[in-house]
Amino acid sequence: MLYINIKVNGKEYELGVKPYETLLETLRDKLGLTGTKLGCGDGECGACTVNLNGKAVLSCLTLVAQTDEKEILTIEGLQNGAELHPIQESFVENSAIQCGYCTPGLVMSAKALLEENGDPTDENVREKIANNLCRCTGYEQPVRAILEAAKKIRGENDR
Amino acid sequence: MTDKLSVVGKSVTRFDAVDKVTGKAKYGIDLKVEGMLYGKILRSPYPHARVIKIDTRRAENHPRVRAVTTINDVPKITGAIGHLMTQEGRDHLYLHDNIVRFIGDPIAAVAADDLEAAQDALSLIHVEYEELPAVFDPVEAMKDGAPVIHTEDNNIAFHVLKEIGELDQGLEETDHVFEERYYTSKQKHATMEPTSSCVADYSQNGRLSVYSSTQRPHVSKLYLAKAFDLPVSKVRIIKPYTGGAFGGRDYLIHGLEIMCTSLSMKSGSPVKISFTREEDFIATEARHPFIIDLRFGVTDDGILKAMEMKCVMDVGGYGAHAAGVMTNALTKGVLIYKCPNITFEGHSVYTNKALCGAYRGYGNPQINFAIESLMDQIAEKLGIDAVELRLKNYRGLNELDPLSGQRIESDGMTECIEKAAEKFDWIGREKRKVANGTKRTGTGMCCLIHHSGGRFAIPDPAAATVMFNSDGSVNLVTAAADEGQGNRTVLAQIAAETLGLDYEQVSISSEPDTDMTPFDSGTHGSRQTYAGGIAVKRAAEKAKDKLLDLAAQHLEARKDDLRIGDGFIFHVDNPSINILVSDLLTALQFEDLSKGIQVMGTSTGVAPAVPTIYGANFAEVEVDMATGEVRILKFVCAFDVGKAINPAHVEGQIIGGEVTGMGYALTEGLITKDGKIMNPNFGDYRMLRACDVPKIDAIIVESPEPSGPFGAKGVGEATNAGTAAVIANAIYDAVGVRIEDLPLSQEKILHSL
Repeated sequence: MLYINIKVNGKEYELGVKPYETLLETLRDKLGLTGTKLGCGDGECGACTVNLNGKAVLSCLTLVAQTDEKEILTIEGLQNGAELHPIQESFVENSAIQCGYCTPGLVMSAKALLEENGDPTDENVREKIANNLCRCTGYEQPVRAILEAAKKIRGENDR
Repeated sequence: MTDKLSVVGKSVTRFDAVDKVTGKAKYGIDLKVEGMLYGKILRSPYPHARVIKIDTRRAENHPRVRAVTTINDVPKITGAIGHLMTQEGRDHLYLHDNIVRFIGDPIAAVAADDLEAAQDALSLIHVEYEELPAVFDPVEAMKDGAPVIHTEDNNIAFHVLKEIGELDQGLEETDHVFEERYYTSKQKHATMEPTSSCVADYSQNGRLSVYSSTQRPHVSKLYLAKAFDLPVSKVRIIKPYTGGAFGGRDYLIHGLEIMCTSLSMKSGSPVKISFTREEDFIATEARHPFIIDLRFGVTDDGILKAMEMKCVMDVGGYGAHAAGVMTNALTKGVLIYKCPNITFEGHSVYTNKALCGAYRGYGNPQINFAIESLMDQIAEKLGIDAVELRLKNYRGLNELDPLSGQRIESDGMTECIEKAAEKFDWIGREKRKVANGTKRTGTGMCCLIHHSGGRFAIPDPAAATVMFNSDGSVNLVTAAADEGQGNRTVLAQIAAETLGLDYEQVSISSEPDTDMTPFDSGTHGSRQTYAGGIAVKRAAEKAKDKLLDLAAQHLEARKDDLRIGDGFIFHVDNPSINILVSDLLTALQFEDLSKGIQVMGTSTGVAPAVPTIYGANFAEVEVDMATGEVRILKFVCAFDVGKAINPAHVEGQIIGGEVTGMGYALTEGLITKDGKIMNPNFGDYRMLRACDVPKIDAIIVESPEPSGPFGAKGVGEATNAGTAAVIANAIYDAVGVRIEDLPLSQEKILHSL
């Protein structure tokens, strides 16, 4: 057992973890944060994407022991109280959600993307979310949602 | 149609959007029940074997194992809803034997305190097999002397021969005969939530409760009751949020709910089984591969006089859909064109490969790929524009459907083709053609039909209940399973519109529950907006009628003079005679102690028709002659959905379906060697990603279906039926090679150049 300190969605945790325990297992099984999804466990579908110190990572390929002293943001931590994050709001408004299983991963990829590039092109978005498989939407409405979220966020920054 | 719609036709937000975008939505895989055990399934390493002995003692003695079950304890379910129609069919729903028929076929299962222990215990089960000769090729499997996979005399799971007119005479009357053979691939549903998770709980009150991400809660309930000899009333299916289905969760998942239930019965605890992605790839259903031989006869001016279609379909080891998928290929093949002489023959054949089943399109993507590839060839050879050839031949309004005997009552095909052609600039396609270095561009088109529901082929009831609350809001209760399409949102819109309410005043739960809802055959065949919508509309009309009856008594007015609007019931000629709907409902329910009435309406029954959905696709591709790589540059499609109840949902269905179709066309397919699937992961099984697909223009055409709710028909299953053909046709136009074997992979293209 290894002992680590991590911050998840602003809350600090001291945890005893197995050396081979993935961040995905810790989030889902120990912390009950089931918003982060298991799609393949092989790092190929992106459903488990979370943000680690602001960067998008695949939590199924990240050993939780490696996240000691780091900050993790999951889909559950994106809202501000009852208020949806602009990316979430934009997904809702653009009908970018069907079954919703890839949605948390897509949203977390988009979050990291927009931190890095506040004014992405359609192509930039498609490149960045290429890690996230979606079987329902054909990507069109999610791409639209992310571009619109970028606009919303820029609008807020202007104010 | 009335033009005063206020909820129908609006892209309202799906009721579950916020739950899904915040991570609150609980899917099957997320479920935890107090005292729950974890199950794992032991699977056959052989494609065909007799199980001589299963020794489970060591597994049972594992300190953290609570129960072990085997195929000797439970039946396999191999039937479909169509089997319920006859005693013989009902007798064949279940299979009790000790044969395994594909690599991955379940043999035993364990339930343990934790997943690790369950996994460990699998290795403690000792199985003695007698290997049997296996057959993997459906054509070989049809031959005399081939290893027999089921108990019948041969491996033919289903045979159909349909003859309309006189094929030979038709061929004689034609000027040209075209013949080709086509092969299609074994596409996987690959839902983002692996198929499947299930929690079975037989620990309380002698009742079996199963949380199952099924498309057909009531059918699952029936099957489990019969499998375990329980009264149907003692089984309850609750469907949690589901991460996609596309046909992959039709009926029960092979071995899943049955083994899980058996473990719960033996252990006395709730048991959960979730498949890994690899199990999903090797042991759940996929799209049937077809071998299709076509022979079409056409006149000089492009009129189809004879169509011969011969299909061999690879069923895999088990065939719940052996008849259904072949029959649907037949209906789409026979009905797309109004040819007078048609022969369709189909053989569905068992092989020792992973089982196939229902998958969006259900036989249509296969037959459409063949037909629309050949039509393209015919157009070129005869010098007729591809668009014109389709318009001349398709079966449209008022034509007789020779299979059901019904007339076609709505027809948007011409509008689909013309609108999409215009948006695509079909006329200007030759001018756009580019040959740049090793890159060549080309264009193609195709058309397609599909249908809503299975009204004339299978038991296909739909049901709904609409209940008014005292504040005027409404609860809508239906077993319609929403796997992401948004059908429960659409049904709430239909209820709101029928009752004259706002969308927000109608509430529908996210989880259909068979204890609460009347029998509905489930979500399949693009039927919920149409057949489910009709049920909701009928239920809402009954509730409204009841409300107006009671209002008429209360207001001492004639019912026919009363109208509902803005929360009031009022006299049409004298609006001062009125009552707030909520006041009336409160009075009926609580104030008038002699009444105690909750106003509600229930409908159960079938839809009157199976309306035809029409569609057309246009694609422009670029092929790199040096690498064989295909890029889709432009894609325009149009679908006639009757009436788009929620246009954003319809657009999402169309684009999502087309992209799955693009994967079917270009990259997807399970590769099997000696019965073993060689690409059971997303690295080796290539689905298209956001950077691989173009922007898609989806055009919605509305040719109202008289029997549909507000004119609506379905859409979902039509949307990937024509994608492979349009891309094949565009590739041919670009580089002059016609590949008749899906997927149209980079390697195949490069090889054939």
